[in-house]
Amino acid sequence: MTEDQQLIEGGDAALQPETTLQNAGLRNERREFFKAALGAAAATAAGAGALSIATSASAATIADNDMGNFLLQIEYLAAQYYSFAVTGTGLPAAQLTGTGTAGAATGARQVTFTDPLVAQFASEIQQDLVAHVAFLRATLGTDGVTAQPAIDLGTGATSAFSKIAVAAGIAAAGAFDPYASDDNFLLGAYIFEDVIVTAFAGAAASISDKAFLGKVLGMLSAHSYHTSVIRSLLYAKGIATPALRTNADKISDVRDTLDGSTELDQGISPTTVGGNLVANVVPAGADGLIAGRSTGQVLNVLYLNSAAVSLGGFYTAGLNGAVKSSSAN
Amino acid sequence: MTDTDTPMLVTDMDGSAEDRSFGQRRRFLLLAGSATMAMGLAACGGSNDSTPTPTPSSTVTPTPSPTATSTVALDTDYLNFALQLQYLATQYFIRATTGSGVEAIPASTSLPGGGAALLTGTGTQGAVTGGAQVTFSDALLGQYAREIAAGELALLAFLRSAIGSAAVSAQPVIDISNSITGGFTRLARAGGLIGPADQFDPYANELNFLLGAFMLQDVMVSALIGATPSLSNLLYVNAAADATATKSFHAALVRSQLYARGTAARTATDQLSNARDSFDGSSDDDQGVTGNATTANITPTNIDGIVFGRTPGQVLNILYTTASAVTGGGFYPNGLISRFFKTSAAS
Repeated sequence: MTEDQQLIEGGDAALQPETTLQNAGLRNERREFFKAALGAAAATAAGAGALSIATSASAATIADNDMGNFLLQIEYLAAQYYSFAVTGTGLPAAQLTGTGTAGAATGARQVTFTDPLVAQFASEIQQDLVAHVAFLRATLGTDGVTAQPAIDLGTGATSAFSKIAVAAGIAAAGAFDPYASDDNFLLGAYIFEDVIVTAFAGAAASISDKAFLGKVLGMLSAHSYHTSVIRSLLYAKGIATPALRTNADKISDVRDTLDGSTELDQGISPTTVGGNLVANVVPAGADGLIAGRSTGQVLNVLYLNSAAVSLGGFYTAGLNGAVKSSSAN
Repeated sequence: MTDTDTPMLVTDMDGSAEDRSFGQRRRFLLLAGSATMAMGLAACGGSNDSTPTPTPSSTVTPTPSPTATSTVALDTDYLNFALQLQYLATQYFIRATTGSGVEAIPASTSLPGGGAALLTGTGTQGAVTGGAQVTFSDALLGQYAREIAAGELALLAFLRSAIGSAAVSAQPVIDISNSITGGFTRLARAGGLIGPADQFDPYANELNFLLGAFMLQDVMVSALIGATPSLSNLLYVNAAADATATKSFHAALVRSQLYARGTAARTATDQLSNARDSFDGSSDDDQGVTGNATTANITPTNIDGIVFGRTPGQVLNILYTTASAVTGGGFYPNGLISRFFKTSAAS
């Protein structure tokens, strides 16, 4: 079996009955959680775990340069998506060079935005992401910077966007086009934006250079602002188009099936607490924290594979650099 | 400024063994009953959402316990600094969404002491002046506000449990009223939102509520970005990064709501941003939400796409509403309860 076939298997897994049941279970547990909070059920103040680094033990062993390049590799994906969507063209060639196997970002195109607010927010995010690529490349230096890998931003039946849409049950193969409308663009961004936030959150504790840590935190914050904007737009537009909320929830469930048994991911649908609706724009746990993902967990989602592989999904040839394997979940 | 301005990097490695008990990752959730506006917290420890057990790592450095003789700020000092700010944010959002303060949250199985138990600690516990329920005619804004309030309360509880009962600092005196000496009116005046004799009531309407939130949220983001690199315990670094993300989400919600409300609201944020800049030193790092014809400015990033950090002294410049080195004022009439972070910077 090729890795590409494994990838498909990973995607299909989300469609299996038992997996669907598992997803429903996650949502039920969440409901129970709120019910307990209301005091309607006996609150089980079960053992609070020790404060822990919610990322792999390997995180602390990744050198700053390697972690910086890992972050750069995923910034390429985000920056190219927004650049094509907002401007119709990708990053300049000079921003793509480096070590490893250089690849192209293919399949994306300009979005014709109809809501000026979405256009203005997308334009701002695009500029920040292009700046992140430039900053990380300059920081990593000419010797250590990794090239852009091959990135699949296309819409065909075998594209990453299609596979995750199919796995989520929100579109038939080849039918999800993130460049076709404002709504689709927001869902496309949502697919990876949340993951990037957790990648930066998970990276922080492994950064040994304190000045670089400050920059990583500043980029984590920027991505969090961005993702908050995307999620709140989906939430707000979900009033008129309820499928936006439920589709976002389904995408979250797929991410959760890929990255291990811990439920790290959250959709956006509101919860009713005491008769009042409470939004779920912020994917924070009950401790108020947005937990990070390990590099392996990040790649589980971006490779669309719950197994330990070195390529797939958005990265058809894998990442460049020392960090390139997803986790075995 | 840059993060390199962060003072007093802790390098003391010969402290006592880490007190694991303060690392209890308790899971809290806000609830707000519609009929009674009764509020409470519940702990939840489902196995499903528990944190994976990390492989023991020798790279996690134990944090020295604070001692009376410490001459540099320890991790607990930075965490308490964050907690002191968290009292302010939590009380603002809880009062705006429920009409009552954290202290009014009733006791429950998971929170036997009620909300009052979330305000105790070292130093002289202070009361909160001001705060009132905002009437949300915009249902969406109400849903966002309640989400933020719940998130802030959860962070408050988390910070307290992370610090541990022995070292946690009490809520200081907080002024979130429209008083002429309070932070809201002083920032609004400094930004020219209101006349020099006017008062700013952040609970009067939705726009004022958002502007009041704007005054606080960005500052807290910059405080976390500025302080986190000074933490030595990697567990705390990890948690502070996660909290930075949460706070940034909250700040973006507030900023994007203000942006969507049009030119007047956008201009008001620019004015408040200038007021903050006037307090925290010569650098123009603060930003309102106004962009240009094609681009918003929700995310306050520099040329590198990076959100800036502030030193604790600069944070206090804004929250005390002064460019001088003082030990209280504005939102904190008597200053923070803190061994190291009580005095604002001479900016």
